[in-house]
Amino acid sequence: MTVVAPESQTRREMPTWMRSALVFGLIYAFLVGVSTLEQGIKIMGEDTQERLFSSVSNPIAGLCVGILGTVLVQSSSASTSIIVGLVATKGISVDEAIPMIMGANIGTTVTNTLVSLAHIRQPTEFKRAFAAATVHDFFNVLAVAILLPLELVTGVISKIATWISDRLVGTAGSEWKSPVKAWVKKPVEWIVDIEDAVGLSGNVLGTFVVFTGLVIVLLALTFITKNMRKLVADRVEKSVNTVLGKGSGSVAMLLGLVITIAVQSSSITTSILIPLTAAGVLTLRNAYPVTLGANVGTTITALLAALAASVPEALTVGLAHTTFNVMGIAVLYVLPFARDVPVRLAEGLAEVAVKRRVWAVGYVMTAFIILPLVGVAILR
Amino acid sequence: MVMSFFSKRETGLDHIVSRAVGMLGDARHSFDLATLALLTNTDTAAVEADIRDTDQRINHMEQQLRSELVVHVTVQGSSDIGSVLGMILLLKKIERIGDQATNVLDLAESGVRLAGETDTEAMLAERGLISTMFGEAADLLAERNDERTEEFATRVLAVVAEHQAKIESYLHSDRPGREVVPRAIYYRYLKRIVANLLGIVRTAAGPLPATQEDDKDD
Repeated sequence: MTVVAPESQTRREMPTWMRSALVFGLIYAFLVGVSTLEQGIKIMGEDTQERLFSSVSNPIAGLCVGILGTVLVQSSSASTSIIVGLVATKGISVDEAIPMIMGANIGTTVTNTLVSLAHIRQPTEFKRAFAAATVHDFFNVLAVAILLPLELVTGVISKIATWISDRLVGTAGSEWKSPVKAWVKKPVEWIVDIEDAVGLSGNVLGTFVVFTGLVIVLLALTFITKNMRKLVADRVEKSVNTVLGKGSGSVAMLLGLVITIAVQSSSITTSILIPLTAAGVLTLRNAYPVTLGANVGTTITALLAALAASVPEALTVGLAHTTFNVMGIAVLYVLPFARDVPVRLAEGLAEVAVKRRVWAVGYVMTAFIILPLVGVAILR
Repeated sequence: MVMSFFSKRETGLDHIVSRAVGMLGDARHSFDLATLALLTNTDTAAVEADIRDTDQRINHMEQQLRSELVVHVTVQGSSDIGSVLGMILLLKKIERIGDQATNVLDLAESGVRLAGETDTEAMLAERGLISTMFGEAADLLAERNDERTEEFATRVLAVVAEHQAKIESYLHSDRPGREVVPRAIYYRYLKRIVANLLGIVRTAAGPLPATQEDDKDD
């Protein structure tokens, strides 16, 4: 090709094989982090665990904790992995974890909504960008509004997830001999030993081990995403162009799924769509199914985290996340009369937001911070 | 189509460049047919549909490739933003050539015929020369060569100067308007087409060049 490369492009890039090896190393670090988190909570003892997690026994409080936690770490992959770690310690049950997982789904949409605010100075662009961002919010909120009550009444999501989990790794309550757990055992022991050697013990030791686990999980996920984005950027570009061209809704959804699995972050996938929709390159209806695929794709991280856990319930929670998102699509996308509801709501909100832009900021603050905080404060 | 994620076809600017070369081929096709209609006794109705379809195809491809460039910047970041801006400019120039070829057809359709005149042979020879320049521009777009670009630029600038001189001589000629006006308009289109070809080659060699010959007219 003839186009001149700018100076910044001539900077030496890491070879693909080296970056791939680095990603494998980071996935290992991520699994060590999840296992460390599990170990730290175990060290804390049952009384402390009881006090810590009693607040999420109310499902709405659990939902709000899921939203807040995800907004805080800006990644549903990270928050759901942490939830999987908590379930692995039996600090919280699968039933308590499911509303938290649903909250994580809502919380993760804050990232692309924030990205859309970057267009706030150009009304036409902003209207399109804000609609593309909030269609994801509305889909997730509607999915929770329908499926959380259904889950509370019938337990359908946990039953499906348990049924699959039973067939894959054994019945709940048993010990699952995960090979991954054995691979990460040594580094986790070293972390605990180091913190023990500096004189920490009991709850303080547990807290430090949990904190170390959290830091490892967050750092590993950040760098996995960063490196995977570089590794698959060309493929992502091709896929988005396919969606632009003649891709149908189901193709767009599958590409959203594949891209998100590849980059390990639904926020990356959905945030790519915002500037494209703002520029008018993608329509809202083209972008919408991609976000739904991203919702399902992001559940791979919790499933991966479950590999480092020692109880089948951890995998059950990961599968519950996948089941919830697939059921959400079945209810809100496959049914023709429901398909347009999130799109119309998003267009309506964008119409309001473009007239009074302060409402857009107010929406983000209220939906992602104030309401969840009030929910936790009242219902804990 | 989901397999597009796993396929190995070329991506990014390489893909855009190869499509731009195809667009340039289409523009050459339009130019050849439109000038043939004007300079020979070819029935304009026979070539009109082909030229207009080709122009539509060029316009559609320009829009598609511009979208792909937006995707490229969104996904890959702004490290090659200079090249991307250059590509947008380059695609616009090819699209303009398509329009200018259509303008030549419009001239023929308006009843102007330059066939069988004393200068027809010279104009046909010039048409062949410019058509060859399309091929050279496509080669230089596909494979950068600074030396050939400079040599090409020298020849193009000479042709542009020659066209400008002809336009001025027609404007100040004592010959009847029905003879000089169509020629002045025709050479103005040719001058723009040739200058746009140079613009394409130069934009490919250096994404953000200073004002170029073709910009002065458009």
